[in-house]
Amino acid sequence: MKRLKTTGGPAPRELVSPDLIERCTRGDEAAWRELVEATHRDVYTLCLRILGDPHDASEATQDTYLKVWRNLGGFRGDAMFSTWLYRVATNTAISKHRGRSRRRAREAGVGEEVMEQIPATGSVEAAAGAKVEVARLEDALAALPPMYREAVVMRDVYGLGVDELAAQLGISETAAKVRVHRGRKKLKDMLFSEDDE
Amino acid sequence: MKCQEIKEMLPAYGDEQRATLELRRHLSRCSDCRAEVDRYEALAGGLRALVSTTAEPPARLLGALIAIPSQRTRIEEARAHVLRHRSRYLGGLAGAAAVAGTAALWRTRSRRLAAA
Repeated sequence: MKRLKTTGGPAPRELVSPDLIERCTRGDEAAWRELVEATHRDVYTLCLRILGDPHDASEATQDTYLKVWRNLGGFRGDAMFSTWLYRVATNTAISKHRGRSRRRAREAGVGEEVMEQIPATGSVEAAAGAKVEVARLEDALAALPPMYREAVVMRDVYGLGVDELAAQLGISETAAKVRVHRGRKKLKDMLFSEDDE
Repeated sequence: MKCQEIKEMLPAYGDEQRATLELRRHLSRCSDCRAEVDRYEALAGGLRALVSTTAEPPARLLGALIAIPSQRTRIEEARAHVLRHRSRYLGGLAGAAAVAGTAALWRTRSRRLAAA
């Protein structure tokens, strides 16, 4: 019997070596440059997927790296650096999102701008020939209401556990699950029309 | 279980450790619901794959990020300089305020004399 393979989500790739991080903690600016070059696209993309706006994503990325520079000394080597980095970026993007949701007027028309930024190539094929084009998936994600988008992005793209997702969003685990499930259903409805059924 | 009940459960299906016996039985004989599972599976695979797809950040962003340590250093140096020379800066400010006050007083007196 088939199972959806979303439990636990994808493991983050380790983006930089422990040696590079060690050099950064000693204030080595060349090492910092190397670290930023190796990671900034992933961080920017994460922020863009959560916030759905390139300008806000740039600001969140800068705030993320400011926090990383200030707190690198507190990074414990027993965890993956990329996991820690994603966590800082997610926190920053969510804080920004909370501030921004007070200005809801800007929400309209965000999807197209995001789509222009993310490569529209490739597809993922699953059982029974069901296929999801990357471009359509990014489009559908960008069109999701923000509260569902951030939940699905963090859970199903970046692999956060439900407990961690709930903590990041400041809601109960039950509420976090509901957001993920509703987001998945909306995405599925957007991607697979009635004609496919 | 009816198809509608099953379809409401499917968004959570991948998070469960095991599908219930009832659900498995239904899926074994319902091609519609199995097709729905396939769609969710394709969606889950697509979302997982996105982690390796990145957007191109604005050109200026990389430079701004690389400059963070030196900017912070400059800010910290400026802050330390001001703290070290606090008394001199405060003295300068007090002097400037005294000069401005005297000038204002002198101007007011001059206007009063001219009016008289």
